[in-house]
Amino acid sequence: MKKKLLSVLLASSMLLSLAACGKSSDAANEAGSQTAADSAAQETSAAKPAEEKNSGIINVCIGSEPQSLDPAINSTVDGATVISHLFSGLAKWGADANGKAELQPDCIEGFTEGVKNDDGTVTYTYKLRDGLKWSDGKDLTAGDFVYSWNRAAGTELAADYCYMFDVIVGYDEMWADNAKGDEKLKVEAPDDKTIVVTLKNDVPYWNELLAFPAYMPVREDVVSNESWAAEPSGYICNGPYTISDWQHNSVIKVTKRDDYVDAADITINEINFYLSDDQNNMLANFENGSWEFIDDVPTNEIPNLKENYPTEFKVEGQLGTYFICWNINKNLLPKSSKLTGVEKTRAEEEIRNAFALLIDRNYIVNDVAKGGQVPASSFVAMGLTDADGSQFYENAGPDPSYVGYYDVKEDAYEANWEKALTTLKKYYTFDEATQKFTDVPTIMYLYNTSEGHKAIAEAVQSTLAGIGITMNLENQEFATCVETRKKGDYYVARHGWLGDYNDPISFLDMWTSGSGNNDVQYGKGANADVKAYSIDLTDLGYETKVENGTWAETYDVIIKDIKESTDTKTRYELMHRAEDLLMSTGCICPIYFYTDIYMVDDSVSGFYSSPLGFKFFMHAKVNK
Amino acid sequence: MNTKTLMYILKRILLAVVTVWVVITVTFFVMHAVPGGPFVGEKAVTPAVQAAMEAKYGLDKPLSEQYFTYLKDITRLDFGPSLKSRGRYVTDMIFDGMKTSIKLGVIAAFIALAFGVVFGAIAALRRNKIIDRIIMVITTAFVSMPSFIMGSLLLVVFSTKLGWLPANGAQKNGLILPIITLSLYPMAYITRLTRSSMLEVLGQDYIRTAKAKGVSGVKIIFGHALKNSLIPVITYFGPMLAYIVTGSLVVEQIFAVPGIGRAFVNSITGRDYPLVMGTTIVLATLIVIMNLIGDIMYKIVDPRITLE
Repeated sequence: MKKKLLSVLLASSMLLSLAACGKSSDAANEAGSQTAADSAAQETSAAKPAEEKNSGIINVCIGSEPQSLDPAINSTVDGATVISHLFSGLAKWGADANGKAELQPDCIEGFTEGVKNDDGTVTYTYKLRDGLKWSDGKDLTAGDFVYSWNRAAGTELAADYCYMFDVIVGYDEMWADNAKGDEKLKVEAPDDKTIVVTLKNDVPYWNELLAFPAYMPVREDVVSNESWAAEPSGYICNGPYTISDWQHNSVIKVTKRDDYVDAADITINEINFYLSDDQNNMLANFENGSWEFIDDVPTNEIPNLKENYPTEFKVEGQLGTYFICWNINKNLLPKSSKLTGVEKTRAEEEIRNAFALLIDRNYIVNDVAKGGQVPASSFVAMGLTDADGSQFYENAGPDPSYVGYYDVKEDAYEANWEKALTTLKKYYTFDEATQKFTDVPTIMYLYNTSEGHKAIAEAVQSTLAGIGITMNLENQEFATCVETRKKGDYYVARHGWLGDYNDPISFLDMWTSGSGNNDVQYGKGANADVKAYSIDLTDLGYETKVENGTWAETYDVIIKDIKESTDTKTRYELMHRAEDLLMSTGCICPIYFYTDIYMVDDSVSGFYSSPLGFKFFMHAKVNK
Repeated sequence: MNTKTLMYILKRILLAVVTVWVVITVTFFVMHAVPGGPFVGEKAVTPAVQAAMEAKYGLDKPLSEQYFTYLKDITRLDFGPSLKSRGRYVTDMIFDGMKTSIKLGVIAAFIALAFGVVFGAIAALRRNKIIDRIIMVITTAFVSMPSFIMGSLLLVVFSTKLGWLPANGAQKNGLILPIITLSLYPMAYITRLTRSSMLEVLGQDYIRTAKAKGVSGVKIIFGHALKNSLIPVITYFGPMLAYIVTGSLVVEQIFAVPGIGRAFVNSITGRDYPLVMGTTIVLATLIVIMNLIGDIMYKIVDPRITLE
């Protein structure tokens, strides 16, 4: 008995001393009898009476420490979420009557129509609202916007998102090789309340750009200190909240500004943005009630979470596509093949498209990725709208009987498989006895290290192995993988693309021969001289008609036409043509459209998310 | 302390400086040789933006020139600006991280030592009794369980299921779970070390002599046995701190502790060159110093050992 007591004593003394190591000894750990709910309530709204409908405080986790909270420099979605709470631009993502995100005017009285000039440029004039103030009490002026946009677009800052300003006249001169450094965007402030900006042409997504973080205003005297956005003390903003505390890598606390022009509409007084990117950690905090919102969950927990939190586990569309890309310069034909020139290119296109038919996207989505993703059969993602407001992807592809460039419905898979085999048999030797191909070159599949990418790669690998095609997997750490892909030092690679704004051009202009994102290597290396691509735009009123031209003579030309087009309908038709040409090469094999998965506590109402995945908590209520 | 010892310490300090310099040099060149750069992302920045950024941070200069500039800067303890967290300086980021990590590490080391020695002594004195068995079973489990499993286990039990402690290092009492996770392995190790060493000491002639002379049990244990059986524990001091430093890389990630370990891991994946260098230098220096202290303490406990 004595010995037992001793061990109990030792164990409990150890626990006690550990408890004393925390910042305070009065908290939940002292009494093992407390329930999870009790301690959660203590964490979040200790002093609030139970009958109040809104505690006014919300604890969320949308990611790790943002790289920068300077609206011009930030390039991440989580950073954009924080910035959207701290800054007001000319436009914002507000909530419509149904609580869904909707583009609304913010610092201006209303959206205006542009005035077309004789040279094709379009001029917009905006009037700022009254009562706009910076968080230090100074007035916000039109000049602040002029300064901010030039700063964000310019060479001195060299921000990742400077190209978001390439629609404005003057941008190209800023970045020209012979630029002197004093070039400016054509945006002016004739007085403190008026902003006049001239765009190169009609830009359908212009209002959306106005709500993008890079377009938010900053003040010259504030940002002259390069470290202004790194500490709360120097952080002057103009939005509904200010930063009241920032523990780097742990939490950013933002507090409502009482002098904000729309303060009456802001229902949350304090938001704690906890900074973590560990999905298990996020989930643990959500499950024990510490956080009301988390922006990510561990993939392998998704089936359980769907079942255990049917009302709190959310899946929303996201403007993005997960796809496999082929290096266009890698040989695909068997050694015995004698095909050359256009015939070789055609054969390879046919083969790649046959491979695309072999992949069972429904299996990948339902049994591997499990995040409610949507099987994809085109590159421009779900969620991007067409000229008439319908979904662009639903109008894509050659055959109206199915959506996209091949039929990815579950019941079409068998037919796809047969069709693919028939095609492949044309080019490779098929051993009927073993039902396997014998001379398909070994394929190397590159992906960046992640359990999710690996599982998808393995699914594809086992499908191909079934018909005798060897695919080896190679994983590289993220930054290395991106570089390898860019250099074209791969055979097949996993890829993913998220749009910056709701316009298909953000998916299409990346594949021009000069683009830094053209990982397929279209029009680069050996492909630069391949004359095998055709376009005919004469029916759309263009003179362009190319039979067997190079990539630069065809695809690059369509993209240029799209960018210069001022007629919305023609412009969208051109974008469909561009995607047709892109998909005909078979180099892009879409797998699924991304979804945005997050969890939001049942006590939270009035929360919404924008199409780009920015989260908005300012109009929420927390019933705790 | 005689001159010989002093000379030895001086020599060791000099060696430490050389070691750190070698670490700096190797890290610097390996880091730049790894593909991918700080401005690489899924979306490529335009070549003009890339060039502008590289010029801004001096990454466009020849590597050797960058290296010598860097060496010059760090002699003034200037680690430069972070390439990823624009507007922040590496020195500040390291300082921020160290505040938390030192707290984590020191408390974990203290707990490991205190409880390890006590449990080890108890196990030795109650050899083959039930309490000894219990301690041995538990410590075997702790020694063989890697910290990421132990951390996840504690997280699930104490945070998710029971809800007693927060899962996030940034919250109130948030450091308790990471401290336990970090201290269990060295504590178990020290327990086993103390036990076996104490058993050996207890069998020595001088203990029997003391017993024969009628010295009280308490005095034998604390005056003779414990002190001498701690020598192996002291030698473990250096490796233990090294374990805590490296272990914190994993533990800080699991519990989202805003420490230097997490900063280090993130700096590598993000190719934040100045932060990689800064954290490497700090961690390497720490390990070198701890090993030095361990050696010196060794000498203090056992005067028979000559340091040279």
